[in-house]
Amino acid sequence: MFGRDFFVERYRRLGWEFREVTLRQAIRVNSMNVRGFDVVGHLRDLGVELEKVPFLQNGYWVIRSDFSVGATVEYLLGYYSVQEAAAQIPATLFTDLKDKIVLDACAAPGGKTVQLADLMNNTGVIVALDVNKRRLEALMNQLERCRVRNTVVYRLDARQASKLGLKFDRILLDVPCSGNFATDKDWFRRRTFRDVERNAKLQKQILAEAAKVLKDDGEMVYATCSLEPEENELNIDWAVKTLGLETVEIDCYGWEAPTEVFGKRLDESVRRCRRIWPGKTQGFFVCKLKKRR
Amino acid sequence: MVEKDVVEGFARLFGVERFLYKGFVVKNGNRYFLLNQKLKSLTKKRGSWLYAGTYLGKVERGGVFHPSFPLLFMIAEKAKNRIVVNDKAAWLFICGRDVFKKGILKIEGSRKKGDYTLVFNRHGECLGYGVIAKNLDKLENGLAVKNLLDIGDFLRRERQAIQEI
Repeated sequence: MFGRDFFVERYRRLGWEFREVTLRQAIRVNSMNVRGFDVVGHLRDLGVELEKVPFLQNGYWVIRSDFSVGATVEYLLGYYSVQEAAAQIPATLFTDLKDKIVLDACAAPGGKTVQLADLMNNTGVIVALDVNKRRLEALMNQLERCRVRNTVVYRLDARQASKLGLKFDRILLDVPCSGNFATDKDWFRRRTFRDVERNAKLQKQILAEAAKVLKDDGEMVYATCSLEPEENELNIDWAVKTLGLETVEIDCYGWEAPTEVFGKRLDESVRRCRRIWPGKTQGFFVCKLKKRR
Repeated sequence: MVEKDVVEGFARLFGVERFLYKGFVVKNGNRYFLLNQKLKSLTKKRGSWLYAGTYLGKVERGGVFHPSFPLLFMIAEKAKNRIVVNDKAAWLFICGRDVFKKGILKIEGSRKKGDYTLVFNRHGECLGYGVIAKNLDKLENGLAVKNLLDIGDFLRRERQAIQEI
Protein backbone atom coordinates (compact mmCIF):
# COMPACT_ATOMS: atom_id res chain seq x y z
CA MET A 1 0.00 0.00 0.00
CA PHE A 2 2.07 2.83 -1.34
CA GLY A 3 2.70 4.98 -4.38
CA ARG A 4 1.08 8.00 -5.92
CA ASP A 5 -2.01 6.22 -7.27
CA PHE A 6 -2.76 4.63 -3.89
CA PHE A 7 -2.71 7.95 -2.01
CA VAL A 8 -4.37 10.01 -4.77
CA GLU A 9 -7.28 7.55 -4.83
CA ARG A 10 -7.66 7.94 -1.06
CA TYR A 11 -7.83 11.74 -1.44
CA ARG A 12 -10.46 11.34 -4.16
CA ARG A 13 -12.55 9.17 -1.85
CA LEU A 14 -12.29 11.96 0.75
CA GLY A 15 -13.67 14.41 -1.80
CA TRP A 16 -10.57 16.09 -3.21
CA GLU A 17 -9.26 15.78 -6.75
CA PHE A 18 -5.48 15.70 -6.76
CA ARG A 19 -3.57 18.51 -8.43
CA GLU A 20 0.05 19.61 -8.26
CA VAL A 21 0.62 22.73 -6.18
CA THR A 22 3.38 25.28 -6.05
CA LEU A 23 3.92 26.27 -2.49
CA ARG A 24 4.32 29.95 -1.69
CA GLN A 25 6.79 31.07 0.91
CA ALA A 26 5.25 33.04 3.78
CA ILE A 27 6.49 35.21 6.62
CA ARG A 28 4.95 36.05 9.99
CA VAL A 29 5.63 39.38 11.66
CA ASN A 30 6.79 39.07 15.27
CA SER A 31 4.73 41.94 16.66
CA MET A 32 6.51 41.78 20.05
CA ASN A 33 9.75 42.93 18.35
CA VAL A 34 8.53 45.55 15.89
CA ARG A 35 6.57 47.98 18.02
CA GLY A 36 6.19 51.14 16.00
CA PHE A 37 8.25 49.82 13.09
CA ASP A 38 6.52 48.98 9.82
CA VAL A 39 8.58 45.94 8.87
CA VAL A 40 6.22 45.01 6.01
CA GLY A 41 6.53 48.50 4.53
CA HIS A 42 10.28 48.32 4.97
CA LEU A 43 10.50 44.97 3.16
CA ARG A 44 8.36 46.40 0.36
CA ASP A 45 10.77 49.35 0.12
CA LEU A 46 13.56 46.82 -0.30
CA GLY A 47 11.67 45.38 -3.29
CA VAL A 48 10.01 42.39 -1.65
CA GLU A 49 6.51 41.85 -3.06
CA LEU A 50 4.22 40.74 -0.25
CA GLU A 51 0.55 39.77 -0.18
CA LYS A 52 -1.39 39.71 3.05
CA VAL A 53 -2.69 36.24 3.90
CA PRO A 54 -6.40 36.98 4.31
CA PHE A 55 -6.98 34.44 7.07
CA LEU A 56 -3.97 35.42 9.22
CA GLN A 57 -3.41 38.53 11.27
CA ASN A 58 0.37 38.73 10.86
CA GLY A 59 0.99 36.48 7.84
CA TYR A 60 2.19 37.53 4.37
CA TRP A 61 2.94 35.51 1.28
CA VAL A 62 6.22 36.35 -0.44
CA ILE A 63 5.21 36.84 -4.07
CA ARG A 64 8.62 37.94 -5.32
CA SER A 65 11.96 38.79 -3.81
CA ASP A 66 15.38 39.22 -5.41
CA PHE A 67 17.04 37.94 -2.25
CA SER A 68 16.32 35.40 0.44
CA VAL A 69 13.86 36.77 3.01
CA GLY A 70 15.55 34.41 5.45
CA ALA A 71 18.79 36.40 5.29
CA THR A 72 17.83 40.04 5.79
CA VAL A 73 18.89 42.24 8.72
CA GLU A 74 15.21 42.40 9.74
CA TYR A 75 14.98 38.60 9.83
CA LEU A 76 18.21 38.34 11.83
CA LEU A 77 16.86 40.92 14.29
CA GLY A 78 13.77 38.77 14.86
CA TYR A 79 11.28 41.22 13.31
CA TYR A 80 9.70 38.37 11.37
CA SER A 81 9.91 34.61 10.91
CA VAL A 82 9.68 32.53 7.78
CA GLN A 83 6.68 30.27 8.39
CA GLU A 84 4.36 28.59 5.92
CA ALA A 85 0.83 30.04 5.97
CA ALA A 86 -1.09 26.94 7.13
CA ALA A 87 1.52 26.34 9.83
CA GLN A 88 0.63 29.75 11.24
CA ILE A 89 -2.97 28.69 11.95
CA PRO A 90 -2.74 26.33 14.99
CA ALA A 91 -1.30 28.81 17.53
CA THR A 92 -4.01 31.36 16.64
CA LEU A 93 -6.82 29.00 17.67
CA PHE A 94 -6.28 29.39 21.42
CA THR A 95 -8.32 31.92 23.33
CA ASP A 96 -6.68 34.25 25.82
CA LEU A 97 -3.04 33.17 25.98
CA LYS A 98 -1.83 36.03 28.18
CA ASP A 99 -0.18 34.86 31.43
CA LYS A 100 -1.07 31.25 30.74
CA ILE A 101 1.11 28.19 31.22
CA VAL A 102 1.40 26.60 27.80
CA LEU A 103 2.87 23.28 26.67
CA ASP A 104 4.39 23.09 23.20
CA ALA A 105 4.81 19.35 23.19
CA CYS A 106 6.71 18.79 19.94
CA ALA A 107 8.30 22.20 19.68
CA ALA A 108 11.37 22.02 17.43
CA PRO A 109 12.38 23.72 15.21
CA GLY A 110 10.44 26.42 17.05
CA GLY A 111 8.38 28.43 14.54
CA LYS A 112 5.17 27.88 16.49
CA THR A 113 6.90 28.35 19.86
CA VAL A 114 8.00 31.83 18.79
CA GLN A 115 4.49 32.51 17.48
CA LEU A 116 2.99 31.46 20.84
CA ALA A 117 5.43 33.76 22.67
CA ASP A 118 4.38 36.57 20.33
CA LEU A 119 0.67 35.92 20.95
CA MET A 120 1.40 35.83 24.70
CA ASN A 121 3.46 39.01 24.43
CA ASN A 122 6.19 37.16 26.34
CA THR A 123 3.95 36.77 29.41
CA GLY A 124 3.22 33.49 31.24
CA VAL A 125 5.34 30.43 30.54
CA ILE A 126 5.82 28.17 27.54
CA VAL A 127 7.24 24.73 28.27
CA ALA A 128 8.78 23.52 25.01
CA LEU A 129 9.64 19.84 24.58
CA ASP A 130 11.43 17.89 21.91
CA VAL A 131 13.72 14.89 21.71
CA ASN A 132 16.02 15.53 18.78
CA LYS A 133 19.23 17.27 19.85
CA ARG A 134 19.90 19.02 16.52
CA ARG A 135 16.31 20.19 16.20
CA LEU A 136 16.50 21.49 19.75
CA GLU A 137 19.55 23.55 18.76
CA ALA A 138 17.47 25.05 15.95
CA LEU A 139 14.67 25.79 18.44
CA MET A 140 17.03 27.55 20.82
CA ASN A 141 18.52 29.61 17.98
CA GLN A 142 15.00 30.74 17.04
CA LEU A 143 14.25 31.71 20.64
CA GLU A 144 17.46 33.73 20.80
CA ARG A 145 16.96 35.41 17.42
CA CYS A 146 13.35 36.33 18.17
CA ARG A 147 14.13 37.49 21.74
CA VAL A 148 11.65 35.12 23.37
CA ARG A 149 11.76 35.52 27.15
CA ASN A 150 9.01 33.27 28.51
CA THR A 151 10.07 29.79 27.41
CA VAL A 152 11.80 26.88 29.10
CA VAL A 153 13.11 24.06 26.91
CA TYR A 154 13.46 20.45 27.99
CA ARG A 155 14.81 17.50 26.05
CA LEU A 156 11.86 15.27 26.78
CA ASP A 157 9.60 13.00 24.76
CA ALA A 158 6.06 14.42 24.58
CA ARG A 159 4.85 10.98 25.68
CA GLN A 160 6.51 11.64 29.03
CA ALA A 161 5.19 15.17 29.59
CA SER A 162 3.56 14.18 32.90
CA LYS A 163 7.07 13.66 34.35
CA LEU A 164 7.25 17.45 34.66
CA GLY A 165 4.51 17.39 37.29
CA LEU A 166 2.71 20.35 35.73
CA LYS A 167 -0.81 20.98 34.51
CA PHE A 168 -1.26 23.26 31.52
CA ASP A 169 -3.83 25.89 30.53
CA ARG A 170 -3.05 25.44 26.86
CA ILE A 171 -1.39 22.61 24.94
CA LEU A 172 -0.16 22.74 21.37
CA LEU A 173 0.28 19.33 19.79
CA ASP A 174 1.98 19.90 16.46
CA VAL A 175 2.71 16.21 16.32
CA PRO A 176 5.29 14.38 14.19
CA CYS A 177 3.49 13.23 11.04
CA SER A 178 3.90 11.80 7.56
CA GLY A 179 3.86 15.24 5.94
CA ASN A 180 2.36 15.82 2.52
CA PHE A 181 3.35 16.00 -1.14
CA ALA A 182 3.12 19.81 -1.29
CA THR A 183 6.25 20.24 0.82
CA ASP A 184 8.18 17.23 -0.43
CA LYS A 185 8.45 16.50 -4.14
CA ASP A 186 9.46 12.88 -3.42
CA TRP A 187 6.67 12.33 -0.93
CA PHE A 188 4.78 9.69 -2.96
CA ARG A 189 7.97 7.76 -3.61
CA ARG A 190 9.14 7.92 -0.02
CA ARG A 191 6.00 7.27 1.98
CA THR A 192 4.08 4.04 2.54
CA PHE A 193 0.89 3.33 4.42
CA ARG A 194 3.02 1.65 7.08
CA ASP A 195 4.60 5.08 7.86
CA VAL A 196 1.11 6.51 8.26
CA GLU A 197 0.11 3.73 10.67
CA ARG A 198 3.32 4.14 12.68
CA ASN A 199 2.84 7.90 12.98
CA ALA A 200 -0.85 7.52 13.88
CA LYS A 201 0.11 5.23 16.76
CA LEU A 202 2.72 7.69 18.05
CA GLN A 203 0.22 10.56 17.74
CA LYS A 204 -2.35 8.67 19.82
CA GLN A 205 0.24 8.14 22.56
CA ILE A 206 1.04 11.87 22.55
CA LEU A 207 -2.67 12.76 22.64
CA ALA A 208 -3.21 10.44 25.61
CA GLU A 209 -0.31 11.97 27.54
CA ALA A 210 -1.45 15.50 26.74
CA ALA A 211 -4.96 14.75 27.99
CA LYS A 212 -3.38 13.80 31.34
CA VAL A 213 -1.60 17.13 31.77
CA LEU A 214 -4.36 19.42 30.48
CA LYS A 215 -6.17 21.44 33.15
CA ASP A 216 -9.89 20.79 33.46
CA ASP A 217 -10.71 24.13 31.84
CA GLY A 218 -7.76 23.99 29.45
CA GLU A 219 -7.59 24.03 25.66
CA MET A 220 -5.62 21.74 23.37
CA VAL A 221 -4.88 22.26 19.69
CA TYR A 222 -3.91 19.23 17.62
CA ALA A 223 -2.26 19.79 14.24
CA THR A 224 -0.53 17.78 11.54
CA CYS A 225 0.70 18.55 8.05
CA SER A 226 -0.52 15.13 6.95
CA LEU A 227 -3.47 14.50 4.62
CA GLU A 228 -3.99 10.97 5.86
CA PRO A 229 -7.20 10.53 7.92
CA GLU A 230 -5.52 7.93 10.16
CA GLU A 231 -3.34 10.77 11.52
CA ASN A 232 -6.21 13.24 11.65
CA GLU A 233 -9.95 12.52 11.83
CA LEU A 234 -9.51 8.92 13.04
CA ASN A 235 -7.18 10.02 15.84
CA ILE A 236 -9.60 12.73 16.94
CA ASP A 237 -12.49 10.26 16.80
CA TRP A 238 -10.44 7.97 19.05
CA ALA A 239 -9.55 10.84 21.43
CA VAL A 240 -13.20 11.88 21.73
CA LYS A 241 -14.30 8.31 22.43
CA THR A 242 -11.51 7.25 24.80
CA LEU A 243 -9.76 10.25 26.39
CA GLY A 244 -12.71 12.25 27.69
CA LEU A 245 -12.04 15.07 25.23
CA GLU A 246 -14.48 16.94 23.03
CA THR A 247 -13.93 19.02 19.93
CA VAL A 248 -14.55 22.75 19.92
CA GLU A 249 -15.87 24.86 17.04
CA ILE A 250 -13.09 26.80 15.34
CA ASP A 251 -13.25 29.63 12.89
CA CYS A 252 -10.31 29.33 10.52
CA TYR A 253 -9.31 28.65 6.94
CA GLY A 254 -10.05 25.11 5.77
CA TRP A 255 -12.78 22.62 5.07
CA GLU A 256 -15.07 20.92 7.55
CA ALA A 257 -13.58 17.50 8.29
CA PRO A 258 -15.43 14.43 7.00
CA THR A 259 -17.28 12.27 9.54
CA GLU A 260 -17.32 9.23 7.31
CA VAL A 261 -13.91 7.98 6.25
CA PHE A 262 -13.49 5.01 3.90
CA GLY A 263 -16.80 3.54 5.06
CA LYS A 264 -16.18 4.14 8.76
CA ARG A 265 -18.65 6.39 10.59
CA LEU A 266 -16.94 8.79 13.03
CA ASP A 267 -18.26 10.80 15.94
CA GLU A 268 -20.35 13.65 14.55
CA SER A 269 -18.27 16.23 16.44
CA VAL A 270 -15.21 15.44 14.27
CA ARG A 271 -16.75 17.75 11.66
CA ARG A 272 -15.54 20.66 13.82
CA CYS A 273 -11.96 19.88 12.78
CA ARG A 274 -10.52 21.64 9.75
CA ARG A 275 -8.90 19.82 6.86
CA ILE A 276 -6.77 22.01 4.61
CA TRP A 277 -6.19 20.58 1.16
CA PRO A 278 -3.04 21.81 -0.66
CA GLY A 279 -3.57 24.85 -2.87
CA LYS A 280 -3.17 28.23 -1.32
CA THR A 281 -1.15 26.54 1.41
CA GLN A 282 0.39 23.16 2.08
CA GLY A 283 -1.84 20.34 3.31
CA PHE A 284 -2.82 20.62 6.95
CA PHE A 285 -5.22 19.50 9.63
CA VAL A 286 -6.20 21.34 12.82
CA CYS A 287 -8.53 20.63 15.67
CA LYS A 288 -9.27 22.22 19.02
CA LEU A 289 -10.14 20.05 22.00
CA LYS A 290 -11.10 20.48 25.61
CA LYS A 291 -12.01 18.15 28.46
CA ARG A 292 -15.60 16.97 28.50
CA ARG A 293 -17.44 18.27 31.57
CA MET B 1 26.30 37.02 43.05
CA VAL B 2 28.98 35.37 40.86
CA GLU B 3 26.68 34.63 37.89
CA LYS B 4 25.54 38.21 37.69
CA ASP B 5 29.12 39.50 37.96
CA VAL B 6 30.20 37.58 34.85
CA VAL B 7 27.46 39.15 32.74
CA GLU B 8 27.73 42.63 34.20
CA GLY B 9 31.52 42.43 33.82
CA PHE B 10 30.99 42.03 30.10
CA ALA B 11 28.55 44.96 29.99
CA ARG B 12 31.12 47.19 31.70
CA LEU B 13 33.35 46.79 28.64
CA PHE B 14 30.83 49.04 26.88
CA GLY B 15 30.50 51.49 29.72
CA VAL B 16 27.27 49.98 31.09
CA GLU B 17 26.94 49.60 34.86
CA ARG B 18 24.50 47.47 36.89
CA PHE B 19 21.76 46.94 34.33
CA LEU B 20 20.52 43.50 35.43
CA TYR B 21 18.33 44.79 38.22
CA LYS B 22 15.23 42.91 37.01
CA GLY B 23 15.19 39.10 37.21
CA PHE B 24 17.63 36.42 38.26
CA VAL B 25 20.81 35.41 36.47
CA VAL B 26 21.08 31.62 36.50
CA LYS B 27 23.98 29.51 35.27
CA ASN B 28 23.12 26.25 33.52
CA GLY B 29 26.26 24.35 32.48
CA ASN B 30 28.43 26.98 30.84
CA ARG B 31 25.42 29.09 29.81
CA TYR B 32 23.82 32.06 31.54
CA PHE B 33 20.13 32.95 31.49
CA LEU B 34 17.98 35.75 32.86
CA LEU B 35 14.81 34.38 34.45
CA ASN B 36 11.76 36.02 35.95
CA GLN B 37 10.37 34.73 39.24
CA LYS B 38 7.89 32.42 37.52
CA LEU B 39 10.54 30.72 35.39
CA LYS B 40 12.99 30.58 38.26
CA SER B 41 10.66 28.62 40.51
CA LEU B 42 9.49 26.39 37.67
CA THR B 43 13.02 25.43 36.57
CA LYS B 44 14.25 24.97 40.15
CA LYS B 45 11.78 22.18 40.81
CA ARG B 46 11.95 20.44 37.46
CA GLY B 47 15.18 18.76 36.43
CA SER B 48 17.62 19.55 33.73
CA TRP B 49 16.43 22.17 31.30
CA LEU B 50 18.34 23.32 28.24
CA TYR B 51 17.19 26.90 27.80
CA ALA B 52 15.04 29.28 29.83
CA GLY B 53 14.01 32.92 29.79
CA THR B 54 16.50 35.22 28.11
CA TYR B 55 19.76 33.64 27.00
CA LEU B 56 22.66 35.88 28.04
CA GLY B 57 25.73 34.04 26.81
CA LYS B 58 28.23 31.33 27.64
CA VAL B 59 31.72 30.92 29.00
CA GLU B 60 33.96 28.98 26.71
CA ARG B 61 37.36 27.39 27.16
CA GLY B 62 39.81 29.79 28.73
CA GLY B 63 37.05 31.49 30.67
CA VAL B 64 36.11 33.88 27.87
CA PHE B 65 32.49 35.10 27.99
CA HIS B 66 30.62 34.99 24.67
CA PRO B 67 27.50 37.16 24.79
CA SER B 68 24.15 36.30 23.26
CA PHE B 69 22.36 38.74 20.96
CA PRO B 70 19.57 39.44 23.47
CA LEU B 71 22.31 40.52 25.91
CA LEU B 72 23.92 42.75 23.29
CA PHE B 73 20.53 44.34 22.58
CA MET B 74 20.01 44.95 26.31
CA ILE B 75 23.46 46.54 26.58
CA ALA B 76 22.83 48.53 23.39
CA GLU B 77 20.12 50.56 25.12
CA LYS B 78 22.69 52.04 27.50
CA ALA B 79 26.09 51.50 25.90
CA LYS B 80 28.44 54.45 25.78
CA ASN B 81 30.82 52.87 23.27
CA ARG B 82 29.19 52.67 19.87
CA ILE B 83 29.83 53.33 16.22
CA VAL B 84 27.27 53.90 13.48
CA VAL B 85 28.20 52.55 10.05
CA ASN B 86 26.92 53.15 6.52
CA ASP B 87 24.82 50.60 4.61
CA LYS B 88 27.73 48.98 2.80
CA ALA B 89 29.82 48.60 5.94
CA ALA B 90 26.73 47.29 7.80
CA TRP B 91 26.17 44.59 5.20
CA LEU B 92 29.85 43.59 5.18
CA PHE B 93 29.83 43.52 8.99
CA ILE B 94 26.93 41.06 9.20
CA CYS B 95 28.77 38.94 6.64
CA GLY B 96 31.53 38.61 9.23
CA ARG B 97 33.85 41.34 7.95
CA ASP B 98 35.66 44.02 9.96
CA VAL B 99 34.74 47.73 9.87
CA PHE B 100 36.96 50.16 8.00
CA LYS B 101 37.24 53.82 8.90
CA LYS B 102 35.58 54.97 5.67
CA GLY B 103 32.40 53.04 6.58
CA ILE B 104 31.97 54.79 9.96
CA LEU B 105 29.38 57.58 10.10
CA LYS B 106 29.58 58.35 13.84
CA ILE B 107 31.64 57.42 16.89
CA GLU B 108 30.40 57.69 20.49
CA GLY B 109 32.35 56.85 23.66
CA SER B 110 35.78 55.29 23.53
CA ARG B 111 38.05 55.71 20.53
CA LYS B 112 40.92 53.88 22.16
CA LYS B 113 42.61 50.85 20.64
CA GLY B 114 41.67 47.64 22.46
CA ASP B 115 38.32 48.92 23.78
CA TYR B 116 35.08 47.20 22.84
CA THR B 117 32.37 48.98 20.88
CA LEU B 118 28.91 48.11 19.62
CA VAL B 119 28.22 48.42 15.90
CA PHE B 120 24.93 50.00 14.77
CA ASN B 121 23.44 50.58 11.35
CA ARG B 122 22.01 53.99 10.50
CA HIS B 123 18.52 52.85 11.54
CA GLY B 124 19.73 52.46 15.14
CA GLU B 125 19.82 48.65 15.05
CA CYS B 126 22.62 46.89 16.87
CA LEU B 127 24.38 44.49 14.50
CA GLY B 128 27.04 43.15 16.85
CA TYR B 129 30.25 44.26 18.47
CA GLY B 130 33.95 44.45 17.91
CA VAL B 131 37.24 45.63 19.31
CA ILE B 132 38.78 48.92 18.24
CA ALA B 133 41.81 47.99 16.15
CA LYS B 134 43.59 51.38 16.09
CA ASN B 135 43.08 54.63 17.94
CA LEU B 136 40.16 56.10 16.02
CA ASP B 137 41.18 59.73 16.65
CA LYS B 138 44.32 59.36 14.63
CA LEU B 139 43.06 56.90 12.06
CA GLU B 140 42.35 58.32 8.61
CA ASN B 141 41.65 55.09 6.77
CA GLY B 142 42.10 51.32 7.07
CA LEU B 143 40.88 48.78 9.61
CA ALA B 144 39.03 50.48 12.47
CA VAL B 145 36.99 47.85 14.36
CA LYS B 146 37.64 44.15 14.32
CA ASN B 147 34.44 42.07 14.15
CA LEU B 148 33.97 39.86 17.22
CA LEU B 149 30.30 38.95 16.80
CA ASP B 150 27.58 39.93 14.34
CA ILE B 151 23.94 38.94 13.79
CA GLY B 152 24.90 37.04 10.62
CA ASP B 153 26.00 34.38 13.10
CA PHE B 154 22.41 33.07 13.09
CA LEU B 155 22.70 32.26 9.39
CA ARG B 156 26.08 30.63 9.87
CA ARG B 157 24.59 28.46 12.64
CA GLU B 158 21.62 27.54 10.42
CA ARG B 159 23.95 26.57 7.58
CA GLN B 160 26.11 24.51 9.89
CA ALA B 161 23.05 22.73 11.29
CA ILE B 162 21.85 21.85 7.75
CA GLN B 163 25.29 20.47 6.87
CA GLU B 164 25.34 18.35 10.03
CA ILE B 165 21.85 16.93 9.34
